[in-house]
Amino acid sequence: MRWTGRVRFAFLLPAVIWVLAFTVFPLGYSLYLAFFKIESKVEVTREKVPVLDEQGEPVLLSSGKPRTRNIVHKNQVTTSEFVGLFNFERLFEDPQVATAIRVTAIFVLVAVPMELALGMLLALLFNQQLLARSALRTIMILPIFATPLAVGYLFFTIFYEEGGPLGFLGIPFLSDPDWALFSVILVDVWQWTPFCFLVFLAALQGLPDELFEAARIDGASTLDLLTRVILPLLQPTILIVLLLRLAEALKLFDVPFALTGGGPGIATQSYSFLAFRVGLRYFDLGYASAMAYVLLIVVMIIVTLFFRRLRETYG
Amino acid sequence: MARSVGIARAGAGAAPPAVRWRPDSLRYAIFSLLAIVVAMIFLFPLYWALSTSLRNPIDTFTVAGLGIPWVDFEPTLDNWIDQISTAESRRAMANSTIIAICASVLALILGTPAAYALARFNFKRMPNRDITVWFLSQRVLPPVATVIPFYLVMRALGMLDTHIALILINATFVLPFVVVIVRQTFLDLPLELEEAALVDGAGHFGSFWRIALPLAMPAIAATGLIMFAFAWNEFLFAIAISSKEAITIPVHMAGGVDSRGVQFWFMAVRAMIAMIPPVLIALLAQRFIVRGLTLGAVKG
Amino acid sequence: MGGWHGTLLGAAALALIAADASAQGVRWNDDGTVDLMLGPDYDDAVITTTREELGTLFGPEEKPFEGAEISVTVNSSGPKGGISGPLHAFRPIWEELSGGKLNIVELPFGEHYTKMMLDLRNGTGQYDAFMVGAFWYGDIAPAGYGFPIDELMATDEYPQWTYDAMPPSLRVLHHWGETPYGVLNDADGQVLYYRKDVLANPEHQQAFKTEYGYDMPAPPKTWQQLLDVARYFNGKNWDANDAEPDSGMVLHLKVGEQGHYHFQSLSASFAITPGDKVDQYHNVYWFDPTDMKPLINSPGHVKALEFLQELHKTGPSAQVGWSLGEAWDYFLRGKAVFVFSWGDVGALCQDETRSKIKGVCAASILPASAEYYDHETGEFVQAEDPQPVGNTTGGSWHGVISNFSANPEATYSLLALMAIKPVSMWNAQNGWTGVDPGYSYQFLQPNGEATVEDYVKAGWDAEDVKTYTQAYYDNFYADTRLTYLRIPGTFEYWDILDKNLSSAMSGEKSAKQALDDTAAQWEQITDRIGRDSQLQDYQAAIGYEG
Repeated sequence: MRWTGRVRFAFLLPAVIWVLAFTVFPLGYSLYLAFFKIESKVEVTREKVPVLDEQGEPVLLSSGKPRTRNIVHKNQVTTSEFVGLFNFERLFEDPQVATAIRVTAIFVLVAVPMELALGMLLALLFNQQLLARSALRTIMILPIFATPLAVGYLFFTIFYEEGGPLGFLGIPFLSDPDWALFSVILVDVWQWTPFCFLVFLAALQGLPDELFEAARIDGASTLDLLTRVILPLLQPTILIVLLLRLAEALKLFDVPFALTGGGPGIATQSYSFLAFRVGLRYFDLGYASAMAYVLLIVVMIIVTLFFRRLRETYG
Repeated sequence: MARSVGIARAGAGAAPPAVRWRPDSLRYAIFSLLAIVVAMIFLFPLYWALSTSLRNPIDTFTVAGLGIPWVDFEPTLDNWIDQISTAESRRAMANSTIIAICASVLALILGTPAAYALARFNFKRMPNRDITVWFLSQRVLPPVATVIPFYLVMRALGMLDTHIALILINATFVLPFVVVIVRQTFLDLPLELEEAALVDGAGHFGSFWRIALPLAMPAIAATGLIMFAFAWNEFLFAIAISSKEAITIPVHMAGGVDSRGVQFWFMAVRAMIAMIPPVLIALLAQRFIVRGLTLGAVKG
Repeated sequence: MGGWHGTLLGAAALALIAADASAQGVRWNDDGTVDLMLGPDYDDAVITTTREELGTLFGPEEKPFEGAEISVTVNSSGPKGGISGPLHAFRPIWEELSGGKLNIVELPFGEHYTKMMLDLRNGTGQYDAFMVGAFWYGDIAPAGYGFPIDELMATDEYPQWTYDAMPPSLRVLHHWGETPYGVLNDADGQVLYYRKDVLANPEHQQAFKTEYGYDMPAPPKTWQQLLDVARYFNGKNWDANDAEPDSGMVLHLKVGEQGHYHFQSLSASFAITPGDKVDQYHNVYWFDPTDMKPLINSPGHVKALEFLQELHKTGPSAQVGWSLGEAWDYFLRGKAVFVFSWGDVGALCQDETRSKIKGVCAASILPASAEYYDHETGEFVQAEDPQPVGNTTGGSWHGVISNFSANPEATYSLLALMAIKPVSMWNAQNGWTGVDPGYSYQFLQPNGEATVEDYVKAGWDAEDVKTYTQAYYDNFYADTRLTYLRIPGTFEYWDILDKNLSSAMSGEKSAKQALDDTAAQWEQITDRIGRDSQLQDYQAAIGYEG
C-alpha cells in the first residue's frame, strides 16, 4: 500500500537534490572535458606593498629599508576548443585501452564467480555445527575491513618470490604477466570472499528449519538439497551480491596500483587504473573522462540487464 | 543441543537456529577442522603483516618458515614506536574517525527519510523501484571521472584540505547504500502500526519519527557502521583534496612509499593501526553487520 | 644561606651549559661565524657558517620575514628520511632566523607530481615551493609556473650559494634555457656498485680467466665485460651470508617505479654518438632535434635493450616486479655482485641495520659499451678506448618556487639556507638525508674540498667512500653525457617507455618490438601536444646547437 501526500516530497527530495548536486555537476563537467580541449593559462603579477604595523607606520628592517610583502594578482584565461569525438575515437586505437579492457574483463570474469562460489561453499560449511563457530566467523570478517591499498602492499611481501612465505612453490607470482594477473585476482578473492560468505551465511540461516527437515524426510540427497532447494531460494541474494561485486570489481584500482604497478608491462593495468594514470598523471583529462564515461555506459547496460531480476526483489 | 542453538543465536542475530544435521561427531570434527583451516588461511596475510611490522628492515624478505617472532627472527618494537608516536599518525587517525563518522551520520540523515518515502509513498511520475535503482547506479561510477570536478568545486569554495569537504564527498558516496538498505528495512515493518498512528492524528512525520524510525533503528545503526567502514578506506578523493590538515589514514599509508620504494615495515604497522577501529566496530556489532550487509534483501 | 645560593647558582650555570650544549637554534659568535645547531634529534650536529654566507637579511634579532607562513611540498619520507629529512632538520633554524613559519607538506612519492600539477594548473597557489624532480621542468617552466631566482641570487641579502660548484650536467637541470629556477640540493645519477671482496678473490679470478680467457676486470670497464663477470658469478654461492646460490647483477625493473632509468643509463653508451656539439647526430638520445622524430628505437637503443635482457638473466627473475627497496635489499644482503643505481646505495651500505656489506661496497662510474651506434653513418662503431657516458638519471630533487607564491623571498631564503656550502656538505656526508654528492666541495681532494675524515666521522667506511665519491665525480664530469628529457609531457613519454621496457624484460615483447611500439606511441603524444612547441622546448632543454 502506498500513500500519497505532498509531504512525501519533503522526505525524498533532500537526498535526491543532494545526489543531483554532487554528481550531476561532476558528470556534466567530465562530459564537457571529454568533448573540449581546455587550456588554462594563469598570468601572475605581483605588487610590492610595505608592511604596516598597527599604527599604520611602515615596519623597518634594521638596515632602514622597509619590509615589503607581495600581493599576487592572478589572471586566469581559459580557452576551450571543441574537439568532437576525438577523445572517444582514440579509445579504439589505443593499445593500452584494449589491454586494459582485456585485463579488467578477465579479472571480473574470474574473480567474481570465484568469490561467489567460494563464499557459498564457506557459508554452507559454516552453517554446520562447528567448534568455536562464532570466533571463526569473526576472523572471517576481518579481511573486509583492511584498507585495499595496504592489502596490495602487504601481499607484495607474501608473494615475494625469492624466499617469501610462498616462495617454496617456485611460482613467478609477480614477475610473469599471466601469474601477476592471477595474483591480483587472488588478493581480491581474499578480501571479498568473506563479504559473499557473510551474506550467504545470513541468508542460509534465514531459511526455515522445516524446509530441510521436510526434504530430508523425502529422502533428498545433499546435492539435490543444494541445487533444488537452497540455490533457488537464495537466488535474489545471489543476484544482489553478484551485482554489487560486479560493480565494484569493474572499478579495480587499489590492488594493482599497490601490488604490481600495473605490470609487468601492462599485464595488470585495469581500466580504472589506466583512466587514473591518464587523468591524474598525464593530465589528459579529456581522454580520461571519455574513458570513464564509456565504462559508465557499459555498467549501466549491465545494470539494466539485471533490472528485471531486481524488480522482483525491490518491487 | 542448547549449546549449539546458543552459538547459532549469537552468530546470526535474531535468526532462527542453524540447520541441524543429525549429531555426528565425525562430521563435526571434519567440518570444524575444515573451518579452522579456512579461517587460518584468511587470517594468514594479517598475521604476516603483524610479523612484518615486528621485524628489522633487513629481515623483511629473509625470514624463513612462518615468520614466528623469536623463533624465526628477532622481533623489534621500533617500527611500532616510530609510527605511533608521530603526530602525523595521530592526526590521520583523528581525521579518519571524524570524517567517517560525520559522513555516515550525514548520509543517514539524508537517506533515511528518502528510504521511508520510497517504502511508503507512491510517486506517480516514476515507479519507486526505478528511483531506487537510480540511487544504486550512483555507486557504480568510476571515481576518476569525478575527482577533478570535485577538486575544482572545493577549490572554488575555498574548502580544499578541510574535513568538511571530505565529509560531504564521502556522504555522497555512501548515500545510495543507505537509501537502498533502509528502504528494505521499512518495507519489512508492518504497516498497521503506522496506520494506527495516522488515524490517531499523528501525521506522516509523526508516524515516521515515533513509530517507524525507532523500530528500524537497529538496521539503521548497522547500515551506519558499514558506511563508516567504506568511508574509512576511501583513498582517491582523500589524496586529491587533503594536503595537511585533513589527511586520512589511507593517504598516510600511501606515505609509507617513498622514493626508495615501499617501506614494508612501516606499511605493515600503519595497516594494522588502520584496521583497529573498523575491526572493533565489527566485533561490537556483529549481528548488525550481517543484517546490514544483506541489504535487507534477506531478513537475517 | 650563601651556601644555598652558591649551589643554586652552580646548578643553574650547569643547566645553562648543558642546555646550551644540546640546544637547537642559531648562535652568533663574536668572530663573525654563526653556528647552526640542529639539536638532539640530529645528534646535536653543529654546522658553522659565516655572517656573509648567511646574507644581510639574517642577523641576531632580525626577523625579516616575521609573520610569513610558507608551505613546501616534498616526497614523504619523514623527519629522518630522504629529501624531507633536511627540511625537518633545518626548519627550526630557518624559523628562528626569519621569524616565519614553515609547513612541510609530505606527499606520497607517486602523488607529489599530481598534487603539484593540480595546484599549478588551476592557479590554486596552496604551496610556495616544491621539491621537484628535474624531469618535471617541462611542465613547470615553459608554462610560467616557476619563479625565476636570478634577481634574488644576485643580491647579497640571502644565504649565498653558487651554481659554480655544480658540474655542467647538473647545472643545466636547474635552469630552463638561461633562466635559473632551481636551488641547489640533491644530485642524482647512477653508478655501478660492486662487491670488491668477491671480485678480488683469487680463486674466482683464476676460474674466470680459465673460462673466459682474460683477467677478471675489477671493476669492469665495458658492459660486455660486466656481462661476462655477472654470468660467471650467477648461480654460484659465492657469498658467505647465506647458503643459497647468489646472482650476478640485480636490477629494479618494476613498472612505474623508476625501472626505466636502468635502461637509460645503460643504453647511453650504446646509443649516443659522441661529438663536440649537441647537433642532429651527436650527443642526442631521445628525439631527432630537427624534426622531433623519436630516436628511442634506433639500432643502438635496440642493441642496448637486448643486452639488458641478457643482463637480466644473471639476476633473480623476480626482479621484474622489484622496485628500489627490494633490489637494493638483495644487494645489501650480499646476494648480488653488482647493482647500478643511485647514491642511496652507497649510503645504505654503511647502515648496519640494512646492510651486511659495509666496507666491501665499492663503486665506479658505469661501464662503457665496446661499441656504439653512429647516427650519422647508421653504423656501429667499435670503440678503441670505450669512454663511459655520464648520466644524471633520477630526480635530483631540489626546490623550485611557485610563481603563485605570495612569499617568494621568504621561501627563497629557506631554500638558499639549505644550499650554502657547509649545509650542503653536511647533507652529502649524512646518507640518510637522501642528498647525494655532486658538487665540487663534496668530492674528496684533489677533486674537491672534502676530506675522508669528514665522511668517516659521519659513519662511512674509508675505502667505500673513496670509490663512491670518485665514481660520482667521474660520472658528473664525463665528456659525453646522457641528455635529460624535460619537455612537456615527459611523464607520459617515460611512462610509455617504462611499460614497454617492462614488457620486454618479462618476455612479452622482443626488444625491437617494445622500442618500436614506444616510438609509435611517442609520435602520437608529440602530435597531440603540438610538434612545433615540443621541438622548440626540446631544443632548449638539451642545449641544441644546430
